[in-house]
Amino acid sequence: MKMEDMSLSGLENTKLEALAHDVYSDLVEDACLGLCFEVHRAVKQGYFFLDETDQESMKDFEIVDQPGVDIFGQVYNQWKNKECVCPNCSRSIAASRFAPHLEKCLGMGRNSSRIANRRIASSNNTSKSESDQEDNDDINDNDWSYGSEKKGELMHSNPNSPRRSKSLKHKNGELSSNVNPELYKYNYSSGISYETLGPEELRSILTTQCGVVSEHTKKMCTRSQRCPQHTDEQRRAVRVFLLGPSASALPDSDTMLENDGYDAPDGQLIMSRLQWDGSSDISPSDSASSKASEFFMKPSTLTLTTTGSGGERDKGQERERGDRDRVVSGGSGSSSSQNALALSSRKKRPKLPVPPALSIYDDLN
Amino acid sequence: MSPAGCSHVNGFKVDNWKQNLRVIYQCFVWSGSVETRKRKAKSCVCHLCGAHLNRLHSCLHCVFFGCFSKKHIHDHAKNKRHNLAIDLLYGGIYCFVCQDYIYDKDMEQIAKEEQRKAWKLQEFCKTSGIGEKYSMWEPTKRELELLRHNPKRRKITANCTIGLRGLINLGNTCFMNCIVQALTHTPLLRDFFLSDRHKCEMQSSSCLVCEMSQLFQEFYSGHRSPHIPFRLLHLVWTHARHLAGYEQQDAHEFLIAALDVLHRHCKGDDNGKKANNPNHCSCIIDQIFTGGLQSDVTCQVCHGVSTTIDPFWDISLDLPGSSTPFWPLSPGSDGSVVNGDGHPSGATTLTDCLRRFTRPEHLGSSAKIKCSGCHSYQESTKQLTMKRLPIVACFHLKRFEHSAKLRRKITTYVSFPLELDMTPFMASSKESRMNGQYQQPVDSLNNENKYSLFAVVNHQGTLESGHYTTFIRQHKDQWFKCDDAIITKASIKDVLDSEGFTDAHNDSQTRTQ
Repeated sequence: MKMEDMSLSGLENTKLEALAHDVYSDLVEDACLGLCFEVHRAVKQGYFFLDETDQESMKDFEIVDQPGVDIFGQVYNQWKNKECVCPNCSRSIAASRFAPHLEKCLGMGRNSSRIANRRIASSNNTSKSESDQEDNDDINDNDWSYGSEKKGELMHSNPNSPRRSKSLKHKNGELSSNVNPELYKYNYSSGISYETLGPEELRSILTTQCGVVSEHTKKMCTRSQRCPQHTDEQRRAVRVFLLGPSASALPDSDTMLENDGYDAPDGQLIMSRLQWDGSSDISPSDSASSKASEFFMKPSTLTLTTTGSGGERDKGQERERGDRDRVVSGGSGSSSSQNALALSSRKKRPKLPVPPALSIYDDLN
Repeated sequence: MSPAGCSHVNGFKVDNWKQNLRVIYQCFVWSGSVETRKRKAKSCVCHLCGAHLNRLHSCLHCVFFGCFSKKHIHDHAKNKRHNLAIDLLYGGIYCFVCQDYIYDKDMEQIAKEEQRKAWKLQEFCKTSGIGEKYSMWEPTKRELELLRHNPKRRKITANCTIGLRGLINLGNTCFMNCIVQALTHTPLLRDFFLSDRHKCEMQSSSCLVCEMSQLFQEFYSGHRSPHIPFRLLHLVWTHARHLAGYEQQDAHEFLIAALDVLHRHCKGDDNGKKANNPNHCSCIIDQIFTGGLQSDVTCQVCHGVSTTIDPFWDISLDLPGSSTPFWPLSPGSDGSVVNGDGHPSGATTLTDCLRRFTRPEHLGSSAKIKCSGCHSYQESTKQLTMKRLPIVACFHLKRFEHSAKLRRKITTYVSFPLELDMTPFMASSKESRMNGQYQQPVDSLNNENKYSLFAVVNHQGTLESGHYTTFIRQHKDQWFKCDDAIITKASIKDVLDSEGFTDAHNDSQTRTQ
């Protein structure tokens, strides 16, 4: 067939159809040729038979659709004993307990921050006796002491149990952890320096606390009168040393000292001298129960809390509203302080008024 | 010399053979523009019989065209001892000594380059923006060897479990598991990671994208036992501190945080283009998930409109039954008013929620905006519409209410469709909606704004404690329920009847290569 320019206008229908048919068959032939080339090349290069599989492999991976088993044909709930290795501490942990372990391991839990606080403080003061105390506390923070996974259970006996019943529950982004590092700057030691306190204050303190001065830190013990760490002898000696020979009597023996010329020490003044353990205030979602248990376990720390709005948080709303808000605002740091205050009265401590610590929280916010 | 080549090409590969070959490809084989096509049609005829079909070949050693079917080119080869000829239709090189088409690596390289160049010149490339012609993967010599030594294959067919795997609950981590399941079944993301496209630039080993890549390897490994995502949890907690802590979290929050961390860690993947510019990030996360939300504030006095466009990864929708009033607008219903406790005439649909989301909202007198037109504080209306739709759209139904008076979960059933058309909610459709008409999409051939559902996350339980599960779509039309470590087959009915907390839709327009 010769190549020539043709005009289609003057042609009859049959001729047009014949032409169209020719073009069509040429196209089909070319397409088939293309496919042949593809196959030819694949065979010659050696990859034509690559995606063939054997029957066995195919059967292996078939989806199972029966009640009681999953798609692999396995029965449910047989995965209780899986273990994994913690990337942080390289210990082998049960998989279903990994999250609580990791929380403590990374220092994100409530107790972890307090323990870390103490470690920082003790390393600052280079004291050994303080760290001894903390080590005892640390031993209590074991993974196995975490209770069962059942939701809604409240475990008072276990100080380390995860919080269960709270007001704002389905999501609990711990914004507090953003606040944590900054608050660390503002504390901290777990004792009282007697040098800076006046006699009235000392007397007041010594009526309620153990007061034995640690050799290493030179600070007074803030535990109760019956603190197991120190003996009554030591307590008597401290009182003699600090308040004079007439003050050798412990409050138990009922002797009260008369002071003239001194005003009753202002509670506020005491608070300004005392250091506080800010860490337990930081996590806003502490429940009353866990705070109580903390308190009982570690009476050496004087807990100061701010009277915040008591659990009401608006971070939830902020998050829900903003389609585009990716920055989570810092938590207000408020916590259920009422409980702590109530407990403190049980411990025969002076009722704490709103402490100046509130101003620090304001700065942070 | 490749195994598919032959030694006879060596006679050809002398002097300036590469350039000559290129010219042949450009002029006579791959015709890009109209002119080259015309030229090819006119000049490529058999020198012996004048035919232009019959599998025309050109001699590589001299200027001669001959048809293959009539053996004219064979005669030429024998007479002149020119052993190589090229097929003008597909560019294959024929060796007359071997009497077969041969595939020489160097020559094929040139052929590919020329083909690519010609492809780009074609008109439809310029208009539709398709850059490259798709070429299938071919194994290298080494890969071929490996494949030949290991004949057992895992082939993903329609009835295959590969790609599905359970996830162990690490202690209240069902919120993480459900999002991970949704992400691993996002087709584009899966393709990205399975083709090893992530190049890590992070010095430490704490790149979340690498971990994600590893996760995909685990999912496609064929293992049946559930995967333990402890490393993923550790990395997420390290990088998104606000999520850390052993208690129940919100899946939606986790999704946003995870996308954010992945986006930040993806810096190395965008070929160095504007890596740190938030407006122009071209990492895979942004390419897939980021859309643009247009917010128009119209001043009631001067009718000047102030427009801002914000990026978004998901769309959070209010539901009826919350304390804020809902305003349904289903076409056909006679505008029955729904208060917080009443029941609408039909079940609320996702489209109803979207309509509410994009309705013009009158900002009250207490929220006057400073208008730049009037230079005073005036009342205004605000309207949200979609400026740019992401490839994967995530809808989040706000079931957890935290108003000042109550905190509860809204369990109103919201029906969502398998196919969703977002055209009425686009910024470009605003005009027609403002006029009070709700137009049905006329152009059904235009697939640009059509989405198909591929993942649904559900929450069972209460505000205080609950459990997340996911339905995901695999193999085009099969649905599976992922409940931590247990994966079971589900029906479409199960999926559509479920409550829905977050669902992800995939853009059904496939961009062909």
